[in-house]
Amino acid sequence: MSIWNYVVTAHKPTNVTHSCVGNFTSSGELNLIIAKCTRIEIHLLSPQGLQPMLDVPIYGRIATLELFRPHGETQDLLFIATERYKFCVLQWDAETSELITRAMGDVSDRIGRPTDNGQIGIIDPECRLIGLHLYDGLFKVIPFDNKGQLKEAFNIRLEELQVLDIKFLYGCSKPTIVVLYQDNKDARHVKTYEVSLKDKDFVEGPWSQNNLDNGAALLIPVPPPLCGVLIIGEETIVYCSANAFKAIPIKPSITRAYGRVDSDGSRYLLGDYNGLLQLLVITHEKEKVTGLKIELLGETSIASTISYLDNAVVYIGSSYGDSQLIKLNMHPDAKGSYVEVLERYVNLGPIVDFCVVDLERQGQGQVVTCSGAYKDGSLRVVRNGIGINEQASVELQGIKGMWSLRSSTEDAFDTFLVVSFISETRILAMNMEDELEETEIEGFCSEVQTLFCHDAVYNQLVQVTSSSVRLVSSITRELRNEWNAPAGYSINVATANATQVLLATGGGHLVYLEIGDGVLTEVKHSQLEYEVSCLDINPIGENPSYSQLAVVGMWTDISVRLFSLPDLNLITKEPLGGEIIPRSVLLCAFEGISYLLCALGDGHLLNFLLNTTTGELTDRKKISLGTQPITLRTFSSKNTTYVFAASDRPTVIYSSNKKLLYSNVNLKEVSHMCPFNTAAFPDSLAIAKEGELTIGTIDDIQKLHIRSILLGEQPRRICHQEQSRTFAICSVKYNQSGGDESEMHVIRLLDDQTFDFISTYPLDTFEYGCSILSCSFSDDSSVYYCVGTAYVLPEESEPTKGRILVFMVEDGKLQLIAEKETKGAVYSLNAFNGKLLAAINQKIQLYKWMLRDDGSRELQSECGHHGHILALYVQTRGDFIVVGDLMKSISLLIYKHEEGAIEERARDYNANWMSAVEILDDDVYLGAENSFNIFTVRKNSEGATDEERGRLDVVGEYHLGEFINRFRHGSLVMRLPDSDVGQIPTVIFGSVNGVIGVIASLPHEQYVFLEKLQTSLRKVIKGVGGLSHEHWRSFNNEKKTVEAKNFLDGDLIESFLDLNRSKMDEIAKQMGVSVEELCKRVEDLTRLH
Amino acid sequence: MGSVLGDWPSYDPHNFSQLRPSDPSTPSKMTPTTYQPTHNRTLPPPDQVITTETKNILLRHIYQRAEEKLRPKRAAPEHLLPEHGCKQLRASVQDTPC
Repeated sequence: MSIWNYVVTAHKPTNVTHSCVGNFTSSGELNLIIAKCTRIEIHLLSPQGLQPMLDVPIYGRIATLELFRPHGETQDLLFIATERYKFCVLQWDAETSELITRAMGDVSDRIGRPTDNGQIGIIDPECRLIGLHLYDGLFKVIPFDNKGQLKEAFNIRLEELQVLDIKFLYGCSKPTIVVLYQDNKDARHVKTYEVSLKDKDFVEGPWSQNNLDNGAALLIPVPPPLCGVLIIGEETIVYCSANAFKAIPIKPSITRAYGRVDSDGSRYLLGDYNGLLQLLVITHEKEKVTGLKIELLGETSIASTISYLDNAVVYIGSSYGDSQLIKLNMHPDAKGSYVEVLERYVNLGPIVDFCVVDLERQGQGQVVTCSGAYKDGSLRVVRNGIGINEQASVELQGIKGMWSLRSSTEDAFDTFLVVSFISETRILAMNMEDELEETEIEGFCSEVQTLFCHDAVYNQLVQVTSSSVRLVSSITRELRNEWNAPAGYSINVATANATQVLLATGGGHLVYLEIGDGVLTEVKHSQLEYEVSCLDINPIGENPSYSQLAVVGMWTDISVRLFSLPDLNLITKEPLGGEIIPRSVLLCAFEGISYLLCALGDGHLLNFLLNTTTGELTDRKKISLGTQPITLRTFSSKNTTYVFAASDRPTVIYSSNKKLLYSNVNLKEVSHMCPFNTAAFPDSLAIAKEGELTIGTIDDIQKLHIRSILLGEQPRRICHQEQSRTFAICSVKYNQSGGDESEMHVIRLLDDQTFDFISTYPLDTFEYGCSILSCSFSDDSSVYYCVGTAYVLPEESEPTKGRILVFMVEDGKLQLIAEKETKGAVYSLNAFNGKLLAAINQKIQLYKWMLRDDGSRELQSECGHHGHILALYVQTRGDFIVVGDLMKSISLLIYKHEEGAIEERARDYNANWMSAVEILDDDVYLGAENSFNIFTVRKNSEGATDEERGRLDVVGEYHLGEFINRFRHGSLVMRLPDSDVGQIPTVIFGSVNGVIGVIASLPHEQYVFLEKLQTSLRKVIKGVGGLSHEHWRSFNNEKKTVEAKNFLDGDLIESFLDLNRSKMDEIAKQMGVSVEELCKRVEDLTRLH
Repeated sequence: MGSVLGDWPSYDPHNFSQLRPSDPSTPSKMTPTTYQPTHNRTLPPPDQVITTETKNILLRHIYQRAEEKLRPKRAAPEHLLPEHGCKQLRASVQDTPC
């Protein structure tokens, strides 16, 4: 039963809603603060650019973000108000690098109609009060006292009911607001009020201005010495103050964002709905405004926020496209633009639709989203893990080991690739044509398996075989020295670095050699009580060619031991527990921290913090990577060290913010890997997998990879067709040619590898593509794309006509096979029992695919079901149909074959306005609604009465804080059927803020355990600004607020792994399990996404 | 045009001085650390937990008007003996509700 669900973010929100600039982290530092709906990011301005400092989760959707500086403060404070009427004032404590809460509170009112145009939060420039407009007809005041402390808030009645914007005016002796509003005749005016804190009331302000531009929607207060306000309309811009009024006409446009450039307020950047960036200049003679000027600078992403940073660099935050860092140039480029894009920050929002596909056929899902809006529309291919880009590959069976070697110590690149097999060793090298060809190193023994190879000092190479260690000149390639294993003993395992060799023979003999110029010296020998299974002397100390530590894995007592070098004294013995022997050990250092990694024969990996001076091992953690033995190897890419764990589930281990991270590699099974950095293929890896040797380069190391396909138009629906290897999208192209704006709706066919448009089918005028599906029908082996449309006529409140179009992909073209007119918008299409199920306005309609006498095909209506307000989202399973209604929540229908009828079986009687539905299992259905909540309902088949059976019981409720447009079954990660995590069914969601998340249905026992962990974590990880996690996750809409149930916050649970050891200990103690066990259980969960 | 486009404000001339435009096809990877506060100062000082006064706006107006009605009667001495009178006034106002 999928009742117990775990919700976790795979891709954080990227929709930038607010930004501001100020001295937040110190009085001398300039910061950019960005709000991404439920998170804020703090950046520092530096010579190198924007330097990210902190990503701060906020337990609320941010409605207002403002920096301000109360009297007597040396740095700015941050005011944040959330959509659920909480606010907080944050201060940066530079000493501890912590955010501390200066004030917080609840500004909700028991009665009041929430404003239609969003919440307004403003701070008086003299810091006398904070003003909030949250409910129609009310203006809330939070006064400051003279010490900068906040006092009790109060409401003032505001006569204007349709408020468009409110700002504080600068330079007023009493705090004064300017209100832009619309009257009941739809005319727009501005009015000023003084706020009398003593009387808790408004006093008529110094001026007002009636009958403004009908599109006026934005006020920009102008700082001293000019003061006054700019009123931005769609056709005019007006400057207004008590003693001046200046207006200029502008090209019709809707201004979405502004950013002040100069502190005296003489220049502003304006961003419009098409992404055009303009500079507005107030010309003035001393303090007298003489006029306004506007200049087009160029094009950016469609801005939702603009922040002038420093030295002509500007941050453009976007909700509809990628955010940007731009530079304003003095002179135009060839295209006449003054804008130069310096950086681009990926934004997936708004995700309006997506599909989950396995394009590379590797058994791992990738998400392809319809992202962005208007000209910034795009497809984004999101996949988890690291990709290997194959450069060359040869068939080679039975590889037992691989090492790369340089032809001289000074050489920057590798030349040789030593490939070892069970009874021979072959050497490959790059020839002059940059091709890999077989060669020979005369001094090497090539008739036997090689156990280890390494470059050594003095232009030498080391080869270890079962009988000897050979030291060979890399110049002459001739043998210079050889160390032979004692008679009767063969070498089992060996390792080396540039100056040292460590090997173990049968009988537990450990031998340590040092490499000189042409000599191998046996320095130390030690007899251990058991056989050695693996060893390593990777230098992680100061000397890059000499290690003072050796690590050895043991059979029998299943331990790892640390020895000092050169004397082979035992320093530490760490029993691993269990019965699985260590197969690979590695000493490594990431970000200045030393670790010991130890891989077991069953695919588990242990990691320890290593104190290199004392040899002490602490903070043991265990995670499961795969099911087969793991081989660990380091490699470097772009000057950073990584560890490659070769196994049935190859993984790259790296460190970010001093925490070890594990990223899947998009290869099925890798037995051996070695770095192979050649001039022709720099930074490459040689990989042995499934009878093949591959040379490849590696992607940037990060968990999620996003490929952007910018379309220049807005994709609205997407669907993949395996058979034709294509995608089909419904898309809107916005045309602007000389003031005329039109939109054109099209169906496009794209190649699923190149994403090129290969065919386009234009829809009729006013016809919108609403749904798309790839399916086949009974008695017909062909695969079709079906598209549902609506004719959206300006005079109709709901479409009364639409079409279902059936296409086939023939010769890379969309061929229309059949079309059927409908009596409304086709909001959803589903393949259903070999037929086509459509949701058309308030009706669910089933169509048969009929063969006409002439051999052509047509859709023929079979049966339907009325009784919805608008049936927007439909999912099916067997004969069951789950419908998400515009405003009547979820209902369950059943198709009766014998009667050829669809009947309602049950419904949820809550009035949820749905935005997506999905079927979790036979009985449990998942829904998302427009107040940013998700919930589950359950079919009650065992109910005693018809009434009970006819009701879907709400079993889970949760406030996600995200508007979900689509759920899809699938997984972003490769699922191993034999791992615990592989058994957990998951649903992926995509949201307006660009979040990709995973909802995993857990077994009850695991849910109970994690619920307890969540409760413990709530006490340890505090909400920033004093905001409560419990309150944040409570289901909340206009009608009710109830505690979250049967959903867990995976983001909170997984943040356990970021805690320091003592906090982990504290929680583990409360949970009654070991830290190691707890870490492993949480690490496992992180591998769901 | 040149005049309005030049002279961009500069807080610290070094800022962005070493930044070179990146390849537009490779987006910037900014991954700041996620903040997980475990300290006790996420809760504000007790007197800085703000709520809205519960008094209805209309009632507040009525009370204020009532106060204003009372005021002129007793305001008279204020002009004669400003300091003294003021003190007396407050005392008397405080007494009235009892």
